[in-house]
Amino acid sequence: MPISRRNFLGGAAGAAAVGGGAWAALLRDSVEATAPMIPGPTTAPVSTTNTAAVATSPVAASPRLPLTNRVLVVLEMNGGNDALNTLVPAAGGYRDARPLLALTEGDLAALGGTDYQLHPALAELVRFWDDKTMSAVAGVAMPKQSRSHFQAMDSWRSGVPGSPSQTGWLGRWLDLTIDAERNGVPDPLRAIALGGGSPALVGVETLATAIRNPANFNLMTQPGTDADALVAAFLATSAPLVTEPTLAAAQQAIPGTLDALALLAATSSDTDDPSFESNTPGAGRSAVDLLGTAARIIGMDIGTRVLTVSVSGFDTHADQLDNHDALLRDIGTGLAQFFARLDASGDRDRVMVVTTSEFGRRVRENGSGGTDHGNGGLQLVFGPAVNGGMVHGGYGLESLDDGDIPLMVDTRSVYQAALEWLGGDGSADGVFEDAPAPLAV
Amino acid sequence: MIQFNSTRETVAFLARRATWGLAPGALDEFEALGVEGTIEFLVNPSAAGVADEASAWADWDFTYDRSDRRTSRAQELQAFDRWMKRLQTTERPLDHQLAWFWHDHFAVSFQVVRHLPAMLDHLELCRSLGRGDFRELIRRVTTDPAMLVFLDGATSTGASPNENFGRELLELYTVGIHNFAEADVKAAAVALTGWVVQRRLGFDARFVSRRHDDTPQTLLGVEGVHDVDTTVAAVTSSAACPVFIASKLGRYFLGDIDNPTIFELGSVFEAADLDITALARATLTTGAAGNASPLVVSPLHWLLQSIKSTGARIETESLIRALGLLGQVPAQPPNVGGYPGASTWLGSSATAARFSIATALAGATPSDAPALVAARASDWSALADLLLRPTGFSEPTLDALNGLDRFVTTRPGEGALALALASPDLLIA
Repeated sequence: MPISRRNFLGGAAGAAAVGGGAWAALLRDSVEATAPMIPGPTTAPVSTTNTAAVATSPVAASPRLPLTNRVLVVLEMNGGNDALNTLVPAAGGYRDARPLLALTEGDLAALGGTDYQLHPALAELVRFWDDKTMSAVAGVAMPKQSRSHFQAMDSWRSGVPGSPSQTGWLGRWLDLTIDAERNGVPDPLRAIALGGGSPALVGVETLATAIRNPANFNLMTQPGTDADALVAAFLATSAPLVTEPTLAAAQQAIPGTLDALALLAATSSDTDDPSFESNTPGAGRSAVDLLGTAARIIGMDIGTRVLTVSVSGFDTHADQLDNHDALLRDIGTGLAQFFARLDASGDRDRVMVVTTSEFGRRVRENGSGGTDHGNGGLQLVFGPAVNGGMVHGGYGLESLDDGDIPLMVDTRSVYQAALEWLGGDGSADGVFEDAPAPLAV
Repeated sequence: MIQFNSTRETVAFLARRATWGLAPGALDEFEALGVEGTIEFLVNPSAAGVADEASAWADWDFTYDRSDRRTSRAQELQAFDRWMKRLQTTERPLDHQLAWFWHDHFAVSFQVVRHLPAMLDHLELCRSLGRGDFRELIRRVTTDPAMLVFLDGATSTGASPNENFGRELLELYTVGIHNFAEADVKAAAVALTGWVVQRRLGFDARFVSRRHDDTPQTLLGVEGVHDVDTTVAAVTSSAACPVFIASKLGRYFLGDIDNPTIFELGSVFEAADLDITALARATLTTGAAGNASPLVVSPLHWLLQSIKSTGARIETESLIRALGLLGQVPAQPPNVGGYPGASTWLGSSATAARFSIATALAGATPSDAPALVAARASDWSALADLLLRPTGFSEPTLDALNGLDRFVTTRPGEGALALALASPDLLIA
């Protein structure tokens, strides 16, 4: 699967624009993309079947879909998304606590059948609510929830409350299913992280592929280079694995990278998505861009089971109204376009999306037009089998925990529901210790 | 533990960890100095006759107006250019390693500060105080305009304190997680209220007493905390502080180290009254004794050390772009935790970028550069030595180098040099 000429030139043009010509000069003229040496995974997954799942069916109840064909997308909203200004409660002192930040009632997007309303920047999502493929989980937290970004992220990603863990919840699930699905052979494309690596994907045997920015993910060589030979030699440095584990980890990154390059070259070859034309560092990492890439990967049906999409900036300590609006608009538009793509490719029923964020923010606003770190937060869940059009849990605004939304729903019950949908009943067994039962999200 | 079999191996280790690369021949000089002499030279270059440095941006007057993006962008580029040139030419590499460590530690991002002179002042603070008294460093950073903007201290008032800086002061900058309670976050936030940044008047920090809550707070068990000095005194007198800083600085230079080593470094730091140079000296000394682990180097380390070894001629715009592709743009850490670590540097994006940039570096290496001469002659041990790996390349990399056609590139040897630079070996210090 060679990287298409057109796509590659797009990248080089972007480089010239950014680098003022210097980088382009280094890579001038016949800059050549190199063909990755390793073809995609050889185990051909079952082809997509487009069953129309019953919208309101409970979790894991769309039996006509081969389970191994399903994909879970975890959309990480890093920084601690403000739950209250995302899914806005009708009552409970929300407006009193936020004289500056409370959203104007008339601007909000109504959610049929509930007292809650959505931030106006998420209005595009209402139709998923209406067709019952979207639900919300309010007051969601990990037990021993921390107000530290790093501790809270560790805990949300590991699915282990309180103490540090070497593995992530998705990584453990991938480990547990690696024998059944892959005869025990690690396949780096089974789990793909877009926008940055996610510790949630870390397992013991599982390999994952982390792509920070799909928009400038490519290989370049100097003019006149036998690129195939040079890439082959680069690949050769990766085997056999040395015994020293740090160097071995650096070796292991190489084949997965070349696989991923082949994959993404294929996802971009038949699209005019502008994110692939831009080689600006930083560009291409919005939810819109990353979810677009995710949809294309899903459409290729190459056995990817889990995707994480990481978007940052939700740590809104100051000037929250404008910042949060832009962040949520990106999420709303990104998800709407994502589902539209899946509809077009007939993949919608294979995909579940769960959002995460390491904590919710404090109920009371601070003096900077923002909110500080809080406790309970919000998860949004999308998919053919969700218990849609419902808010699960609640904000518990009458029983705040030190000024914060208390834990009303254990995050792990949402995780378990997602894993059981992904792999079938009982497939989440062994992923969590002492976790509550799956929630019918 | 790392086994060093010769002085050359040990000083090469010090060069990989504590400098921004060595030009060909410089490793011989380190070897002649010996291990202790090299550490002393790095820690105290003045004693070796190296002059003090002014700021990289010292003799440069400019008016920064962000609304004029053409001019302000050019200024940002020039600032970056001066910074990178300094890193490549300095005779005080450890000072700049420490400056980079503190920049990573405080993680102030230009994307938030959006004011170039304030950002440069902050970076200069990291350099000029980065090898001095830790208390003074924290005190100055606490009221540093860039920091006041970065973590919202500038909008934190007595009536409505913003906890952002107070929390990170404890969790990330001084004592670390588990060593404070939520009440301490609130206490620090209250005690530090009242500082503003006068954005239209030179972006200076100013204390406005009516925005300050002077009520005495209890912070980490210390009573009567009510302002910057008492806050800094309380956090830096915590027993956790020297250990926390020692563990972070120790891991920056040495990779994974065990707890006894961390506590030992912590006691040295405490006994030296939080003098950062003393901590750095102890850290390099214990590392040179083999008390260190293999470490995945950051893109800036890999790139600058590669440039120094090869003499590759790379323009500043290309440097920025390369670092962006690798995932580490200086002055733009992605979040308050600082630059990402090994998992990102080993990720697919960085791996692909490393290959592409290695080919560009090899292409920009002069034909008479020792690294290219060695590569052309297939003298892999000489090439590895020039790349600060006197023990040679790993077997798989050697095999790959040997299997590579000399004429894979138009210029013989260029392909092998690119491969060596891109190899897993160069990613590990």
